[in-house]
Amino acid sequence: MRKPLISGGIVFLIVLLFFAIMPSVYSNEDLFFQAMVYLALAQGVNILYGFTGYLPFGYVGFFGTGAYAASLCITLLHFPPVLGIIAGGLASVVLSILLSPLLRLSGAYFAIGSLAASQMVYYIVSNPSLQNITNGPYGINLESVYQPHTSYVTMIVILALVMGVVIYIRNSRFGLSLQAIREDPVSAGMAGVHVVRQRAIAWFLSALIAGLVGGAFAWHISVFYPTTVFDLNISIFAIVFTLFGGVTTVLGPVLGMFVLYGFYNLIGISEPQYFQLIYGILILLLVLFLPSGIVSIVKRRGHYVP
Amino acid sequence: MMKTPFRVLSRIAVSGLIASAMTLSGLAAANAASTKAPKQITIGTLYAGSGSFADSSLPQYDGLKFWVNQMNAKGGVYVKAYHKKIPLKLIAYNDQSSSTTAATQYNQLITQNKVNLLVSDFGSVLTSVAVPIAQEHKMLLIDPTGTGGSFFTPNNPYIALTSLPTSGVWPTSLADYLIKNHYKRVALIYDQNDFDQSQATTLLAKLKNAKITPVYNNSVPTSTSNYSVLIHSIMATNPDAVIEFGYNTNDIPFLQSVSASGAHFKMLFTIFPGQLLSNIEQNVGVSGLAGTYTYPTPPLLVYNKVNYGLGMNAFTKEFQKSTHSAPNFLDVAGYNAGLVIQKTLENTTGLGQLQLRKALYTFSGKMFTLDGLFKLSPTGAQIGETLPVAQLIKSGNGLKVKVVYSK
Amino acid sequence: MLVYTVISGILFGLFCSLMGIGLNLIFGVMRFVNLAHGDFLMLGAFGAYFAYTLYGISPAISVVINMIVMIVIGALIYYAFVPRLLRSRDPEMLSLIFFFGISQVIEALSVIFFTNNPRSIDWSALGTANYQLFGQSFQESWVVSALISVIAIVLVYFYLYHTKLGYATRAVMGSLDEAASSGINVHRVSAWAMGIGLALAAAAGALSPFFLGSITPNMGSDITTTSFSIIIIGSLGNPLGTVIGGLIYGLSSMFMQSYIPSWANLVPYLLLFLILLFKPSGLLGKVVRHA
Repeated sequence: MRKPLISGGIVFLIVLLFFAIMPSVYSNEDLFFQAMVYLALAQGVNILYGFTGYLPFGYVGFFGTGAYAASLCITLLHFPPVLGIIAGGLASVVLSILLSPLLRLSGAYFAIGSLAASQMVYYIVSNPSLQNITNGPYGINLESVYQPHTSYVTMIVILALVMGVVIYIRNSRFGLSLQAIREDPVSAGMAGVHVVRQRAIAWFLSALIAGLVGGAFAWHISVFYPTTVFDLNISIFAIVFTLFGGVTTVLGPVLGMFVLYGFYNLIGISEPQYFQLIYGILILLLVLFLPSGIVSIVKRRGHYVP
Repeated sequence: MMKTPFRVLSRIAVSGLIASAMTLSGLAAANAASTKAPKQITIGTLYAGSGSFADSSLPQYDGLKFWVNQMNAKGGVYVKAYHKKIPLKLIAYNDQSSSTTAATQYNQLITQNKVNLLVSDFGSVLTSVAVPIAQEHKMLLIDPTGTGGSFFTPNNPYIALTSLPTSGVWPTSLADYLIKNHYKRVALIYDQNDFDQSQATTLLAKLKNAKITPVYNNSVPTSTSNYSVLIHSIMATNPDAVIEFGYNTNDIPFLQSVSASGAHFKMLFTIFPGQLLSNIEQNVGVSGLAGTYTYPTPPLLVYNKVNYGLGMNAFTKEFQKSTHSAPNFLDVAGYNAGLVIQKTLENTTGLGQLQLRKALYTFSGKMFTLDGLFKLSPTGAQIGETLPVAQLIKSGNGLKVKVVYSK
Repeated sequence: MLVYTVISGILFGLFCSLMGIGLNLIFGVMRFVNLAHGDFLMLGAFGAYFAYTLYGISPAISVVINMIVMIVIGALIYYAFVPRLLRSRDPEMLSLIFFFGISQVIEALSVIFFTNNPRSIDWSALGTANYQLFGQSFQESWVVSALISVIAIVLVYFYLYHTKLGYATRAVMGSLDEAASSGINVHRVSAWAMGIGLALAAAAGALSPFFLGSITPNMGSDITTTSFSIIIIGSLGNPLGTVIGGLIYGLSSMFMQSYIPSWANLVPYLLLFLILLFKPSGLLGKVVRHA
């Protein structure tokens, strides 16, 4: 019974050690930083989609909200960056509470509804009418607190928290109840699972993760425009990585991120002119030949996947 | 049936391993500054092969490539510190117009390829993420066209803008021209981004000083591509001058809608005909542009009396010979960034980044290229080039540029 | 001013309906979210561009050519890939990623073949006259495009309600299982829906240069997002509801441009969001969610 928890713990350790050590082996710290960002976001998508079946197409809305809330707390209220990041996470949770009626929708409706919500947040943040607060289209400049190494360490801590939460959900009654809701909400409700509350918790958690990650990202990148942190591709990457690896597991998003983001950078560096083409074909092949993600290969043989 | 996924997976795993091995061993020749002359000077840059910045980024990259090839054909670029010519190597990655991807790749150029010189991608959005990275790694960022005002601060010596002034300075001549010619009913429409809004802010402030209140003043989302109703609203205010600040993807539908609506304004101003004339002409036709105003840039402004590099006509000829297409402004900007690098290397005491910066200031204000006077402010912003106001006049089947006002 | 805005909104809205209807047909029949919708539209736009600049073919004729070509391509894509997709655990969500991949491939190939330079079809290609409607004058290209859109939508209606295949299509939209058990060849119906859906996107593409500014290989993703707003406002899975969605979208964007231009892009999303919350199935839709 403890075995699943141990294998989860091993994944946890390997991932964190990897990110702690790699920058001293290969000094493109930014590459690993962004890998962590995508991994944490992929795990956030995993919590929501893998365990409840809601696919948050507009997940980047929480990421951007976190980035902006953190930046504004730092520039306007002079918060220390770490406190700013926490504020960014909380701001995302507030947004998710405001958007919680979205959970009444299902399937593609939810996916697109969340997309609309993220676009709305983007248009509001970048509108010149709010320039006094958000700096509108001029974007954010955090150069005065720019400390890439400290923000890197902060990101490792956030990733550790995220991985910890996912391992907990994977191995707890809470996670089981979520999966029961995903499979059949009506019978789960009849079996005594608090459907609405459990779902809402998963929703808030995933928003919190995206907000914290967004805050750390803002601090790390320091100079950016609204389009940078509300780029729809961030959602799409996180979702594609998660689904490619395999949902409802701890390991799936990890594998998905490492393989796909690794390839993404490798192609970008070795074959820049065919970047997009190769990446698109790769995704098509994966969907057609590995529709349930990489972990399904192991699962099919009857092995346990953390 | 079951074999295929496994084969795919094993292939992925193998390529993954190769990938990490390649990554670990480092992809490019490290080339740290040392007392011995390096075998080659590496220049790192990014370009957007696709996405919203591609149509401007690719020509800028072509211009830089043209300069590199030209130098290498002559055996390299002369570096004063070593008293000899050293060949150039250009390393370029495709950021696909994504600033997050660009951030990683700038880092890759600095930390892995250990380039000697870092040149940023086109425009403010793709340059923005490079500013703190370059500063952190103490790399001088050669910035051809990233004109965002916030990039240039007194405590950051690691940036130099080589073409174009910061965007807030652009409308200076335009404002003077409007005031001098007694335009009283000015309509202003601009897009919600750093580049356009900073220009609008400057123009509005200057008009306000001259006690001119615009009859129409609105910002629209940068994604706007349909201007019919907006032009109708502008016409309703009966303006004598209409100024539209947008990207080229805004200027094209704007000018098209003006032609299609049959509206006629005494003065109509847009930005990008001055930079990408042939492309905009293909889209809106000669009749859609004839009589309108713009900021002319090289090659529309022809500088043949230069004291460094090729003059405009010679450049056009050479560029056409090697790329089979006529250069536009961004090709010039890319080439001009190359010229600045060339002159820097000719003047530098070493390849240290602050030495390079010091070398830049030895010829700031003295070098005159096909892009105009090269002059840096103490913060690294470009102040030598000014943007005059010109009118596009129909001549035969094409358009002629007539400068109507310059400082 | 008000009259001008209303009529522009209607003309633009009719085009928007055409833009969204193909996406909605595919969703209605297959429950697939076609993230490459805008990219197929872009291909249609380039088809019309080359037809016009190289051979002088009017975009109105390109609409027809585009549709014929795309029906074939759509059916090919269907038979090549969809049966595989349907075998997975959650085809609806997997289709998202599948079409994202298609969209990447189309965009990359378009960049290689068409380059990134923005292109336009001369605005006078559909006629230079100005129409007088209610005392306001409108450019002919808008009026003609809106008319073509109406014809295309009427044809879709005719197909759905007056052909045998259309009956089968509506049966599949209603319930896949019931349709299959009553002997309808679901694959055949779906392949046609895929073909027609993409054909409608390409038809809108041929007209897009007159409404959406210049065409570039990267225009697709924005169009996909806009099309989603349109079909949800109308109602997801009901192709004819798209007409309402398109008109509401067109009118609201024109009204915002006239009166509060700086917030113009917020309204479609706000509308979409509110409709999702208060009437998730769209203005014309039936309730789909039970738990």
